[in-house]
Amino acid sequence: MQKLLVCYKWVLDEQDIKVTGDLSLDTGRAKYKISDYDKNAVEAGVLLGEQHGVSVEALTFGTAAVKQSLKDALSRGLDKVYWIGDAAAEQADAFVTANILAGAIKKAGPYDLILCGEGSADSYSQQTAPRLATLLGIPAITFVRQLSVADGRVTAIRKLGDCTEEVTVTGPAVISVLPEINKPRIPGLKQVMAAAKKPSEEVKVADLGLAAGELAPKVRSLSVKGYVMDRKKVIFKEANQADNVAKLVASLAQEGLC
Amino acid sequence: MPGIWIYSEDSAVARQLLTAGLELKNAMKQPVAVLTLSGEEAQTFIDAGADKVYVVKGSNPWPESYANAVADLLTKEQAGVLLVGGTMRGKDLAAKVAASLKAGLVTDALRVACAGDGIETTRLVYGGLAVRTETVTLPALVTIPPRTFAEAAVQGTGQGEVVIVEVANDDNRVSVTNVCPIVRQGADIAAADRIVCVGRGLSKKEDLTMVEALAAAVGAEIGCTRGISEDYRWLPNDRYIGISGQKVKPELYIGLGISGQVQHVAGIRDAKVIVAVDSNEKAPIFEAADYGIVGDLYEVVPLLTKAMQK
Repeated sequence: MQKLLVCYKWVLDEQDIKVTGDLSLDTGRAKYKISDYDKNAVEAGVLLGEQHGVSVEALTFGTAAVKQSLKDALSRGLDKVYWIGDAAAEQADAFVTANILAGAIKKAGPYDLILCGEGSADSYSQQTAPRLATLLGIPAITFVRQLSVADGRVTAIRKLGDCTEEVTVTGPAVISVLPEINKPRIPGLKQVMAAAKKPSEEVKVADLGLAAGELAPKVRSLSVKGYVMDRKKVIFKEANQADNVAKLVASLAQEGLC
Repeated sequence: MPGIWIYSEDSAVARQLLTAGLELKNAMKQPVAVLTLSGEEAQTFIDAGADKVYVVKGSNPWPESYANAVADLLTKEQAGVLLVGGTMRGKDLAAKVAASLKAGLVTDALRVACAGDGIETTRLVYGGLAVRTETVTLPALVTIPPRTFAEAAVQGTGQGEVVIVEVANDDNRVSVTNVCPIVRQGADIAAADRIVCVGRGLSKKEDLTMVEALAAAVGAEIGCTRGISEDYRWLPNDRYIGISGQKVKPELYIGLGISGQVQHVAGIRDAKVIVAVDSNEKAPIFEAADYGIVGDLYEVVPLLTKAMQK
């Protein structure tokens, strides 16, 4: 094993997004973060890199804002980040994203393993890893909860709702990892300082040799509206908890639930 | 055959998708075909209204290995729409097929309809905070989560064509071993009628006995947030409820010490009645609850347990 790649997405922190009265989304106060699921992929890549003494690079595609991600990404133990900051990311669907990532991987690669999170924290469409594998002509092993590499072979335990399976792959592959695979490290001051000295390289979409059709999304957003739970919101907040419980039980009795 | 195609490695899910497929059939005036790996189930799809069933047969039993074969068949048949059962295997296969067909794919659609020369869908984004309506140009792929639709009813004449398609799906780069069913501790919470769910408000693992007592009094299964199963590992992962975990539809959900992050709430939104107990009056869970008690769960839960036992 010579070289690993992790793909990550720089997303708005959904905890900071507010749903306004007309159900539009107010993202004005939202900060960006590395998608939570991708932090697990970064950690899985860096752990493998440390175990096998190989270089771990990362690739990210986003709007111009993605450049802000470099320091955080590099402080997590990566050796280098390739970043693509392009306005096309605003409208990109998984078709476009995978085409761009695959183009960049063909340019910067080859890689023995390409790691992705199970989905992204914003759109969670869970398509990037399998699409990338198909575009690169290599196997995809998705929903991996445990990963090891020995004698040039990768062994992954997948978790698939009703069963687990062990998959062994020879040669390069794309892996998507489940959040349960690890606990991402929290970079310390030393790692953050070291990140400033690590290399990053901008990749331009125009240099990837993609046709116009490969950059035109197939899925277009018509509207995004805040999801409102239509709930009763009857809240009991007296100091006497016995009273609150009695009122709750009376309400549940009315609902026919006790 | 252009038209609407359905695939799932799980035949029950395929019959659920037929319900959505038959609606599209009416709107698009095109036939519905089911692609299946299970020859013995073929007639059940015809009985439920499929015009044609393709039984895809290869030498490799791994469902994911059929992606290329499915893509080839759909290209040859000039399929317009492919609905895929949104199991994990289904989502994996759908993305590979979409990449091969250079097609758009919407994952986990809650609604799918014909709209102009495309397909219109709605799905959750930002961890369940918002709903996005999208259009996908044809050929369009959509995955639909299991249990979104009821299985299509037996109808019509039961006449339809069953075609066996032999495909090559060997891949000597990949070998699959040790397929183990996940043995759940207790019942499947996705199907539970009542759920008591615990979050980070619980201060130590031993206090789960208090939660178990409430669950016993209510007749509920125990669920938890992602933090409890993945960070603390107090409960198995198949107990965690949320957008990336279990999605539940109980009659009654009681959340204890749960702040109500959108990712968790996305997993409980189909509950009939949501009850929340949390010490923080401003916790977002109260916005998602029918009934709530603001208070220390260590004080409230024993009282509630006692009251529910009566």
